[in-house]
Amino acid sequence: MAANYNFKKITVVPSGKEIIDIILSRTQRQTPTVVHKGYAINRLKQFYMRKVKYTQTNFHEKLSAIIDEFPRLDDIHPFYAELLHVLYDKDHFKLALGQVNNARNSISKTAKHYLRLIKYGDSLYRCKSMKVAALGCMCTYVKKIGPSLAYLEQIRQHMSRLPSIDPNTRTLLICGFPNVGKSSFMNKITRADVDVQSYAFTTKSLFVGHTDYKYLRYQVIDTPGLLDRPFEGRNIIEMCSITALAHLRTAVLFFLDVSGSCGYTVAQQAALFHSIKSLFMNKPLLIVCNKIDLQSLDKIPEDDHKLVMEMKSEATKTLLGLGGDPNDDGVLLTMSTLTEDGVSAVKNAACERLLNQRVEVKMKSKKINDCLNRFHVAMPKIRDNKERPLCIPQSVLDSKNKDAPIEKKKLERDLEEENGGAGVYSASLKKHYLLADDLWKEDSIPEILDGHNVYDFIDSDILQRLEELEKEEGLRLEAEADDDDAEMDGVELTADEQKALAEIRKKKSILIHEHRIKKSTAESRPIVPRKFDKDNKFTTNRMGRELSKLGLDPSSAIERARSRSRGEKRGRSTTGRGDGVMDMDVDQPSNKKLRLRSRSRSVMSSKKGGEIVPGAGFRDVEQKNQALKIAMKSNKQRNKNARRGEADRVIPTLRPKHLFSGKRSIGKTDRR
Amino acid sequence: MATRLQFENSCEIGVFSKLTNAYCLVAIGGSENFYSAFESELADAIPVVKASIGDTRMIGRLCVGNKNGLLLPHTTTDQELQHLRNSIPDSVVVQRIDERMNALGNCIACNDHVALTHTDLDKETEELIADVLGVEVFRQTIAGNILVGSYCTFSNRGGMVHPHTSVEDLDELSTLLQVPLVAGTINRGSDVIAAGMIVNDWAAFCGLDTTATELSVIENIFKLGDSHPTAIVDTMRKSLIDTYV
Repeated sequence: MAANYNFKKITVVPSGKEIIDIILSRTQRQTPTVVHKGYAINRLKQFYMRKVKYTQTNFHEKLSAIIDEFPRLDDIHPFYAELLHVLYDKDHFKLALGQVNNARNSISKTAKHYLRLIKYGDSLYRCKSMKVAALGCMCTYVKKIGPSLAYLEQIRQHMSRLPSIDPNTRTLLICGFPNVGKSSFMNKITRADVDVQSYAFTTKSLFVGHTDYKYLRYQVIDTPGLLDRPFEGRNIIEMCSITALAHLRTAVLFFLDVSGSCGYTVAQQAALFHSIKSLFMNKPLLIVCNKIDLQSLDKIPEDDHKLVMEMKSEATKTLLGLGGDPNDDGVLLTMSTLTEDGVSAVKNAACERLLNQRVEVKMKSKKINDCLNRFHVAMPKIRDNKERPLCIPQSVLDSKNKDAPIEKKKLERDLEEENGGAGVYSASLKKHYLLADDLWKEDSIPEILDGHNVYDFIDSDILQRLEELEKEEGLRLEAEADDDDAEMDGVELTADEQKALAEIRKKKSILIHEHRIKKSTAESRPIVPRKFDKDNKFTTNRMGRELSKLGLDPSSAIERARSRSRGEKRGRSTTGRGDGVMDMDVDQPSNKKLRLRSRSRSVMSSKKGGEIVPGAGFRDVEQKNQALKIAMKSNKQRNKNARRGEADRVIPTLRPKHLFSGKRSIGKTDRR
Repeated sequence: MATRLQFENSCEIGVFSKLTNAYCLVAIGGSENFYSAFESELADAIPVVKASIGDTRMIGRLCVGNKNGLLLPHTTTDQELQHLRNSIPDSVVVQRIDERMNALGNCIACNDHVALTHTDLDKETEELIADVLGVEVFRQTIAGNILVGSYCTFSNRGGMVHPHTSVEDLDELSTLLQVPLVAGTINRGSDVIAAGMIVNDWAAFCGLDTTATELSVIENIFKLGDSHPTAIVDTMRKSLIDTYV
């Protein structure tokens, strides 16, 4: 890929004074500013050395940026190098950049020198003086290159306005005497819109336009007019044309005004042609006779005609050098930019010739081998007798055949515009559904129904299956209806049953009601110990009442409760126990404790003690129970009062006032 | 004539649309511009359907189809499948397949008679392609790329393949597909042909970056308008040489 020549990106070159302002203010802003006489000398030195070093670095960066951004004339395409030389004078340009480079080096050297001096400074005053001297010195260097910087800025501004000519692409170059119609031709074949006036040297620099031919884009360069005079005598404007002619590989269109209305005779123009024909070597050359609306080529005077023919033979020679056909008549073309007669013929001939030349060169290059497959169209060999027809709908074929313009349809885009534009308009996706009935289009179908994915049940034979299912459902419903009739007849409650049902319902409602009252007053209800709560007192009477209310015989339960409350009987009596067998068991050791335990116990007592763990510090279960009881008792009152217990989370006073007030950090002045 | 267009600033229009001789699928975008570009060209002849596949817009890379059928990856949702079945003519079989590789558009390239597929495709998938799309199936690579669906595109009239396909490969592929083939690029030098363009027997659409040269190669090889493939080697040869070399 060829380098892209874009001189518009060069940054503005500030003047010397501006550079100094920028750098010094940056030093002021970016380095420390406060220093004190009493500081250690090393600190003072460092303070000033830093300032000098920082200033030097900034100068260096700034000047380097300028030097690097301008193109090096030796590195860029010879056309641009030559053009810049013609426009700005290579020596002057190099000198300016050289001076900037020198200033950069001098500044570095000065900074180095003064840094060394500051190193030997012995007071703030001396270090400061040294710094001032160093900065002053640097600024002087920059001030000295002021004119060079101003020159570079001018060049930058001019360069940013140069046409962006790609030296390597397909290019047509228009040249000839002033006023022969070069710019008019340019305006005809491109959209460059070059200024056209009736006086000579309207075009003072190179102009670029683009035109298309055979899918390719061609760059067209309009050059200022050339006069027939020695090379040294040419001015800068003419030299631009010469540069382009000399260094660009282009097709050259040499414009000839046979009518002489440009103010120059055919002889003069022929002389110019012959003097610069060395520049046409190895380039496709066309001689274009312009303004044939004023004077046709056949009717020009004999000697002029001879000159034209001479030029034509010269041009044919260059063509021969390119391996062209000697009898080719396309070297000399006529046209009129006024009547546009032959304009496109000239353009096509030039483009074609240039393309041929470029292709010929490229065909010889090695790179062509990598691309050969791109120029190959593989045609199929018949492999079987199967026919593979096209599939083009009849409507497409019809519309192709009839040439009548089709009336414009309303597109979705138009609808969108009418209905609020993109982001507002939302088209229905169902609009173009192809269904049996158009009314179905907008029907919404559930995705999930009764917990099933509807789509899993979509089948081709769905209707048939639905019918079967419906039939089945009908049969089932009929059968069910029969059953229901029979059942309904049998349900008739007897009077007793009805009474009982009413009782149940009443009781239920009372329970619910009571519960609701309880719930609503839960907060403010007084807590009555059960001992004093008449309704909830634990008495055998009450138990008996409750049980009989449930329809149970309470006598045995009461008996049992009474026997329990009387406590264990001493001695061997086992009467009243259901499981007297236990005592007969001979395998059982006659230990009292074991015997006690083996009896099935009430839930409460079995829960209380549990096993004793060796090492917990209890002699036996009894002792453990005792300890637990004491512990619970000690908490009882506290819990009742909702007081803080030892298990509650506590954040103690972290900084007790008395321990922290009235003291100083160094441990003096104790208040107490 | 080939049309140049863009999908939301992307030139890879083949990713966001699918064109066959019987229907055209278009991704649902932010505006109707993309859809209307197809609508104006095609709506008279075939249905142009806005669709998504697996809730994504890259439908062109996910599905594959021709005038006989449309194969969708397993990521397609039931609703999308239903939408497509409702929108596409009943003559086209819409089928969701359980293939491990779900970017079917990248793995399979087909016209109405022949299909090229990725070499690692399941046996069952291959059978489904043959049945649903009604094509002969060939496992192939294109210029060493296994993603045949990305690197080539062809209709019943012609085809374009990856620019690095050798001349021998071109001839072989051409005989397999029974259509003229050319190696080329799209979108100013992009080699993912199928991502940059979509084509059927009478229309083609390419990315907006496509150059005039690329466009005329396309028009010639796909015989759009009055052009013919041989024009590429006769009249266009010089332009091509000057562009590529």
